[in-house]
Amino acid sequence: MASVLGVAAQVNEAVARKIGAGLRAASQGPPDTLRLVVAPEELRSATEELLRLRARFLITVGIDARPLSADYRVLYLFSLDGEHLFVVLECAVSPDDPHVDSIAALVPGANWAERECRDAVGVTPDGHPDPRRLLLADDWPEGLFPLRRDFPYDYRPPAAEGVAPVPKQPPEGASVLPIGPFFPVLEEPSYWRLFVEGETVVGCDYRGFYNHRGIEKLGESTLTYNEIPYLAERICGICGFIHSTAYCQAVEKAAGIEVPRRARYIRSIMLELERVHSHLLWLGIAGHILGFDTVLMQTWRMREPVMWLAEEISGNRKTYGMNTIGGLRRDLPATVVAKVLKVVDEVERESVAVRDAIVGDTTLLARTKNVGVLTGDWARQVCVVGPPARGSGVPIDARLDHPYAAYDEVPPRLCTQQAGDTWARVLVRVEELLDSIRQVREGLARLPAGEVLAEVKDEIPRDRIGISVVEAPRGEAVHFVMTGGDNRPYRWRVRAPTYPNLQAMPAMIDHAAIADVPITLGSLDPCFSCTERVEAIDVSTHSRRVYSRQELLAMSRELTLRGGRR
Amino acid sequence: MANPWVAFLLVPLIKIVVILLAVILIAAYMSFFERKILAYMQIRIGPNRVGPRGWLQPIADALKLLVKEDIVPARAEKFVYFLGPVLVVAPALLVFSVIPFGPAFKLFGYEVTPYLTDVNIGILFILGVSSVGVYGVILGGWASNNKFSMMGGLRSAAQLVSYEVPMGLSVVTVLLMANSLSLVKIVEAQKQAGVWYFIPGIVAFFIYFVCGVAETNRNPFDLPEAESELVAGFHTEYSGMKFAFYFLAEYANMVVVSSIATVLFLGGWLPPFPNWLAAVWALPALAWIPPIAWFVLKMAAFLFVYIWFRGTFPRYRFDQLMDLGWKVFIPVSLVNLMAVGLGVLLIGGK
Repeated sequence: MASVLGVAAQVNEAVARKIGAGLRAASQGPPDTLRLVVAPEELRSATEELLRLRARFLITVGIDARPLSADYRVLYLFSLDGEHLFVVLECAVSPDDPHVDSIAALVPGANWAERECRDAVGVTPDGHPDPRRLLLADDWPEGLFPLRRDFPYDYRPPAAEGVAPVPKQPPEGASVLPIGPFFPVLEEPSYWRLFVEGETVVGCDYRGFYNHRGIEKLGESTLTYNEIPYLAERICGICGFIHSTAYCQAVEKAAGIEVPRRARYIRSIMLELERVHSHLLWLGIAGHILGFDTVLMQTWRMREPVMWLAEEISGNRKTYGMNTIGGLRRDLPATVVAKVLKVVDEVERESVAVRDAIVGDTTLLARTKNVGVLTGDWARQVCVVGPPARGSGVPIDARLDHPYAAYDEVPPRLCTQQAGDTWARVLVRVEELLDSIRQVREGLARLPAGEVLAEVKDEIPRDRIGISVVEAPRGEAVHFVMTGGDNRPYRWRVRAPTYPNLQAMPAMIDHAAIADVPITLGSLDPCFSCTERVEAIDVSTHSRRVYSRQELLAMSRELTLRGGRR
Repeated sequence: MANPWVAFLLVPLIKIVVILLAVILIAAYMSFFERKILAYMQIRIGPNRVGPRGWLQPIADALKLLVKEDIVPARAEKFVYFLGPVLVVAPALLVFSVIPFGPAFKLFGYEVTPYLTDVNIGILFILGVSSVGVYGVILGGWASNNKFSMMGGLRSAAQLVSYEVPMGLSVVTVLLMANSLSLVKIVEAQKQAGVWYFIPGIVAFFIYFVCGVAETNRNPFDLPEAESELVAGFHTEYSGMKFAFYFLAEYANMVVVSSIATVLFLGGWLPPFPNWLAAVWALPALAWIPPIAWFVLKMAAFLFVYIWFRGTFPRYRFDQLMDLGWKVFIPVSLVNLMAVGLGVLLIGGK
């Protein structure tokens, strides 16, 4: 810990040297978080200095702090991976003219984050390269910012006629091929407009966030600290435990709650079990995209016993409901340990067989080698995380860079590949899958006895911040919490791993064949509902009539309000 | 056979009806077996709800397609859109008119040939007619006024053109050996030679079948309808009976390719080693097997391989498919053609 303090002091000093009086305040909230309040006009210089120290941009958090200090705050979260340190650059923005300099030119990976901050909180980034709407629906009125404190969580603006996303113009001579919003191999809506010349992609445009439902807003306005884990868990349809863990850890950090060691071990074990079934699921989907359904069927069969394990441990296949602030609500039953070991043995045996089969398959190799290449340099600039980053030789892994749960005692192996192509990402995931099994075994072998829940007796203090990262199967998930009154966070910010990873897509499919686009997108293991923080809905109609786009939109909104009940 | 009405109208009509029904039935049940076998390969059960063990599934599918709404895109080129499925299905069925399912036999004192006709340019006829099918695909893809359909249609055209060449060359090796274009004569030549042509023509046999898979747009060469890239390719916009036509044509074409492979390379209706084991086949225990059973058995084996491929290979990418056709199959089949030609010259036509 001493070294972290030392590094924090050095960073503080370096930034102070660079921007002088522009650095207005510095504090260390949780020990691993350095919070630097900088003048808005010095934001770019401070960012430059952090980049020079090899900091990695995580996400932007816009906070409507008018009730607290009569301003908006924009927080830029960075991570110094090698030094296990988070750095927060905080700007106070005047509510009369909420503008802030864009850093997207310095950090291409901040592109979406700044647009989202503008859409949700209304702080406009000046000099942004692509200031189109990102998050809000096309018919959302201008000047209405849902994450401002005075915006009621249940307010519905009226639907508008004749609106459409602002499309990017294709280059001369290229035609547009739509992939989405609904497409056979996309499990969730996402709209890519490919600009193609013949079968070659020469550019693309993206419109997403069709699923945005304001989960952060709900957490800040109607739920309490201990209710949010159940909502967080429902952010993702596959790796929900990731999000509840990340949220709980953020609050625990902010409030300085020490989680019992046994609970940390069990969190690790559940997280790794989740990675096992998630990677198997991904492998199947990748096979399906390549027209190789046998892989899909086999890996999903292998995955099923892991889901049964989850059910036996938590009562549910998916939403475990185990996490709570301070630890776990439910202990690991002693009887289940032998079963877990048996299941992971079987999964390991079969995974090795699958690995040997796919490594030797020349067609598979031809379809993935040198396809969707993401260079290490660009991966760093767009702040790509998880297997796509490690497949491009960027050695980051939240479990090692910011150890949480029991990863300091049972560390993972860092699986990297240098090539940066789809094949490299396949290899990384297969290796990780096997390493996760090892970690589950080790974790169970070293599982300490004791309590699983630290009782939280005192009220959680206000105005503290906590940043927690969790290495989800798709990459690092970031949760930021700023504590507030009324037993709920003042601001809760979620950044799913697909959020930065999707931003690397345009470079990966540049001058690729159309046939390579689905597998390239698939190789990112995109999870749109995480990115957009929603739950899935579906609309079914029985009577026979023609619905206009407006009517369908209105119907689906109504259905959402009914909570999905028909 | 004295009455020309009987000889030239009644008998051919009966044969046409029987062959068409058989082909359509085989195509329908091929889809059933595909789903079943693929399911077993992928540790699933497959269709098992309609009728005993799902046996009536193809009937239910056909009925469903018959009564389904037939949607025509508002901005489609109506006439060509309608023409597409017809152009695809007609050649696929027409080809069966020259395929010999067995040798002539006597029925009630009349000589009956279990094929519609034996034209002396049979194989040329097949190659010519089956090539027309691609027009249906291209026109259907173009007329749908949909980018995915268009792209699928274009891919199909490129694929067909590339794979016609090596396929034709591998057929020529058989012609060299058999010294005839008539399918019946080719089978009889194999009987005389005492060996099926796949043994001397193993390379041509392999190339023919792979090209056949490519020509029928089947996995791993099912790019024109690659779901993950092009939704459903050229038939994205087709529904109801028009879609059923495309579907029928695809399966009928698989039967065509399998039948031709059977005739050209596996001795058609001949039993294995027709001369060498002639005594065995004449045994009372085996003599009852009609020649047509051998034909069906061999054809079914090919159809099974189709399904097996689908369970085993990922899809190729378009340029990889083209590379394979132009850079591998065409040179190899050219060299093979010369080698077989030389062999025929030296050993003499078998």
